[in-house]
Amino acid sequence: MAAAAGGINMRENERTNEPQNGDGGLLERLEMIKEAGLEKIAKSTLPEQLQLVRANLLGRKGELTDILKSVGQAAPELRKVLGQAANEVKQILGDAVERRGSELLENLSAFEGEADISVPGVEPFQGGLHPVTQMCYDLNDAFRSLGFEIFSEPEITSEKFAFDNLNFAPEHPARESMDTYWLKGHDEERGAKRLCLRPHLTGASVRYLREHGAPARFVYPGRVYRNETTDARHERAFFQYEALIVDKDFSFASGMVLIRTILEKVFGHEVDVRMRVGFFPFVEPGFEIDMKCQVCGGEGCRVCKHVGWIEVMPGGTPHPNVLRAAGLDPAVWSGFYINIGLDRLVMMRYGVDDVRLFHSADLRFLKQFK
Amino acid sequence: MKLSLNWIKQYVDLPADLTMAKLSYDLTMSTVEVEGAVSLSDNLAGLVIGRILTVEPHPDADKLRICTVDVGDPAPSTIVCGGVNLAPAQLVVVAKPGAWVKWHGEGDPVEIKPAKLRGVMSFGMICASGEIGLGELFPASEHAEIMDVSEFDAKPGTPVAEALGLDDIILEIDNKSMTNRPDLWGHYGMARELAAIYKCPLKPIEPAELPACADGLEVVIEDSERCPRYLGLVIRNIKNVPSPFELRSMLWRVGSRPINLPVDITNYLMFATGEPTHAFDSQHVGGRIRVRRAAPGEKLELLDGELLDLTEEDLVIANETKPMALAGIMGGKLDSILPETTDVILEIANFEALGIRRSSQRFDVRTEGSARWEKGIDPQRVDITAAMAVKMFREAFPEAVISGCVDNYPKQLECAKVEVSLDFLRKRLGREISAEEVKEILSPLGFKTEAKDGLLLVEAPSWRSTGDISLPDDILEEAARLMGYENFEFSPPTVLLDKAVNQRLPDMERALREYLAFRCGMQEIFTYPWIEDEYISASGAETEEMLELSTPPAPNEARLRSTLVPGLLKAVVTNLRYFTDFRIFELTQVFFDRNYSSISGTDELLPEMARRLGAAFVGSDARALFREAKGTLEYMHRAVQMEPLSFEQREKPAWGDEKLWVNVIRGGEIIGALALVSPRCAKAAGIKRSLALIFELDVEKLVPLPSRQNVFSHLPAYPLADFDLSIVFDENVRWEEIEAIARKAELVRDVKFIDEYRGAQIGAGKKSVTFRTWVGSDKGTLTSEQIENVSKQVVKKIGKKFGGDVRGAQ
Repeated sequence: MAAAAGGINMRENERTNEPQNGDGGLLERLEMIKEAGLEKIAKSTLPEQLQLVRANLLGRKGELTDILKSVGQAAPELRKVLGQAANEVKQILGDAVERRGSELLENLSAFEGEADISVPGVEPFQGGLHPVTQMCYDLNDAFRSLGFEIFSEPEITSEKFAFDNLNFAPEHPARESMDTYWLKGHDEERGAKRLCLRPHLTGASVRYLREHGAPARFVYPGRVYRNETTDARHERAFFQYEALIVDKDFSFASGMVLIRTILEKVFGHEVDVRMRVGFFPFVEPGFEIDMKCQVCGGEGCRVCKHVGWIEVMPGGTPHPNVLRAAGLDPAVWSGFYINIGLDRLVMMRYGVDDVRLFHSADLRFLKQFK
Repeated sequence: MKLSLNWIKQYVDLPADLTMAKLSYDLTMSTVEVEGAVSLSDNLAGLVIGRILTVEPHPDADKLRICTVDVGDPAPSTIVCGGVNLAPAQLVVVAKPGAWVKWHGEGDPVEIKPAKLRGVMSFGMICASGEIGLGELFPASEHAEIMDVSEFDAKPGTPVAEALGLDDIILEIDNKSMTNRPDLWGHYGMARELAAIYKCPLKPIEPAELPACADGLEVVIEDSERCPRYLGLVIRNIKNVPSPFELRSMLWRVGSRPINLPVDITNYLMFATGEPTHAFDSQHVGGRIRVRRAAPGEKLELLDGELLDLTEEDLVIANETKPMALAGIMGGKLDSILPETTDVILEIANFEALGIRRSSQRFDVRTEGSARWEKGIDPQRVDITAAMAVKMFREAFPEAVISGCVDNYPKQLECAKVEVSLDFLRKRLGREISAEEVKEILSPLGFKTEAKDGLLLVEAPSWRSTGDISLPDDILEEAARLMGYENFEFSPPTVLLDKAVNQRLPDMERALREYLAFRCGMQEIFTYPWIEDEYISASGAETEEMLELSTPPAPNEARLRSTLVPGLLKAVVTNLRYFTDFRIFELTQVFFDRNYSSISGTDELLPEMARRLGAAFVGSDARALFREAKGTLEYMHRAVQMEPLSFEQREKPAWGDEKLWVNVIRGGEIIGALALVSPRCAKAAGIKRSLALIFELDVEKLVPLPSRQNVFSHLPAYPLADFDLSIVFDENVRWEEIEAIARKAELVRDVKFIDEYRGAQIGAGKKSVTFRTWVGSDKGTLTSEQIENVSKQVVKKIGKKFGGDVRGAQ
């Protein structure tokens, strides 16, 4: 601004050095128009107002246009001087209008009235996946990235696949109707003829291996069913996530990759785990896998019952009888299973305290997991 | 199962610096899960022995007494107490002021404070046994009886735990973690395990000299499968008296209620060796024991008073006339230890697991004994149990005579032998191991190991030979767990990169779910596969081909779904309580009692199962819901990368409205239906005030594309122009007819439905349809005249077709 004003003054000084001629006061009028114009321009606070000022000065019927028109009638020797001066003023005023226009635009709001920015946003039209599905897909992504296939078997299976193939003793309590949902009309016979809603996912591993052979690495998430009394921690229908690697001379210490993949995905960072002895018919050796309590960091708290560790999943090397049932030679093949409760992972992830909510179809619950 | 650390220490000298935390940790890592460890002296902290000096009546309360008690302090304490058995010189348990007492040994400690009781200051409290968690060990004969410990030789002021010898730690073991280890169900077995873990010696149980003669006892085993061994000891001249405190105390610690001396000894034996035993009154046995199956119609009254109707499947211990006990599970009330018993036959037998398990289940009688037999106990354990029994009876009844013994053991159990190569162990352990190391690890557990050219011949001890150990993998586990799983380094597996994972079907299901949730704004739900009959009947679904559960969650939830509609109806009803406008879907499996087939190449035949996608749209405007649902299906193929769907009315679904329904078609085949829920169905399901629209599709009939197949179209050389028309039609004119006509006009490139309107100004039975038409040419930009002509043409054609009923064209 200062430089621009200086420029105008300089020109004014130049002009004051001009000889005073008989110009009919045109030069003086020009000077007045310029001064008054500049003031009006400076005082314009709205773009519309500025436009009006501009029209009055520089428009077709503007003051300056009038003068420019009358320059032709002036004495010839004055025409050049007058013309020059008038154009100079026109230039100065034009520039001033433009500058003021930019200034006004800079500070202009497109919004009328008061802006209450505390008004909430409009929720996008959105649905959501069930939190169990979300967890399952998170894990699928992690295992896919390691080259695992995703497999599923139908939810109705036979005693042969649910128990016999998996080395469950003939009188294992899980085979009882008080534990497993057997199907009416298919519960008299044994083995392949006795049908049930699958009580776990492990039977699917034998189906996959029979179909695809070994080596293999795959996950097979899904819903399983137990005849149980339900409460906040127990459900009749719940979700598991199971993964299996079968390879040659696979050491159980390598099985840790499965555990790490899951826990890292769930918690977003590496989690300390320990494998300890555990017994399950379909594995030998079998493990209970504990993770360091994420609440107290292993110091001991109520959540981990003061032991610093929380049991998260069973795992182990497929029992030779299971491999045989899958048509594989246990002398050649071994591997590692892990099985984790998806509901439980979701409960840990969000702090859900009642497993029955997962099958409630209650949108007040489900909408929280968009 | 509860274990007393002191009891274990009778059999093994554990390292002196071993902390409880370390022991719990090591046992959990290598053997069984320790769920908790409770220090009895912690539970009794703050309690001391007091000697009552005087007992005076309370001036203002009939039931209270004012006692002076020596609690080891320089001056006696005044304590107001309501005990009915207070007497001078009596030793009692006192909670002194300032002591923190855990009432009943549970919960948070409470501080004892001096308090005024009916005007008299009381400094502490004289405890009843039940108040300090010792109710079972010191049973009170009536409610207001305080605990009298005069029988103990203790000075006033002595901590109670010390005075009563209860300075012990009780371990709580998770039973589920030891179902495969019958050897661990007693203190001796657990001591052996700890000896192996800490490499300290296990004390042997000295064999006892058993009488050579039978003293008139005969044992006949009629079913040697179910009873491989039966040892009967004749013990004469005993008494049915209460056990001494030490014995009662040991049983109490492991959660067993003391009964009387002979019975307590049998229970003690079980907790020591893991082998249940039983004592019969010798008079009732009458010289011959028969281990036989029950005869039909035979009855037995158990010790707990339950009367059983026995079956031929049940094994009983009988005398010549009738059963005296349900073998291995519970003794009979009439023939076990009785108040007048002086001579007993002590049964130290072996029963087969399965039979016990079945009888136990049949009668729903589960005992400490049956729990142990069900795990499979080795017959050899009879020997140490008998040795311990002889020793205990001799000590408990110095005047008793162990006069006879019959040991009927027709077929010895052979110990399991396993051949395992060092190479196998090395590969599976992922580290080096020598034959000597294996031998050193396994021998404390009772395994015998012989090495021969890289092969190990391992013989398991009898107590691990009842099914537990049979494979090289079992030996691997034994070695690994005692080496400590923590000591194995993680080694990442190597993989073969031969091909990428490409699974269209699971990917399509995921794409379907994500399309519905993220693009269509629907919420995924899960419902149970069994459905209430009310909702099945509301849906009108056929039930003949529905599978049923033998033992359903509820009588009206026996049927397994063959359609997702009933579950959706229920979910709609559930959510209408809180919402009026919502969208839900479920993608899962349905089941049919038909078309049985084999899927895994075995003799297994599974019923037909199909994967279905069901969705419900709930709101108040049927037309809007219909368009939204239909749109969801129409645009699905692009998002999901599958072949497109079309719509035709062919077969109305049972739950569908009379008018607003359509089938979903793929490849000419019906793969589902979309319909407004009919008023009948809505009423039956309990859907009120809102409208629901449902679609259900057979997901397996959707065909995922091998790759994206969207085709690029060139952008038009000259811009398209568009115009909207709103035309009033009779209600029976269908959009597809209007569209077809509009498309026939020259230069028309596309026609799209915009909206329809019904209202008073249009008149009843009429609708105003607005649609947009795009026109264009390859030869140049259309002039407004040309566009106008097309518009006129469209209006004219429509007018011609629908009989001059065209009004309001714009």
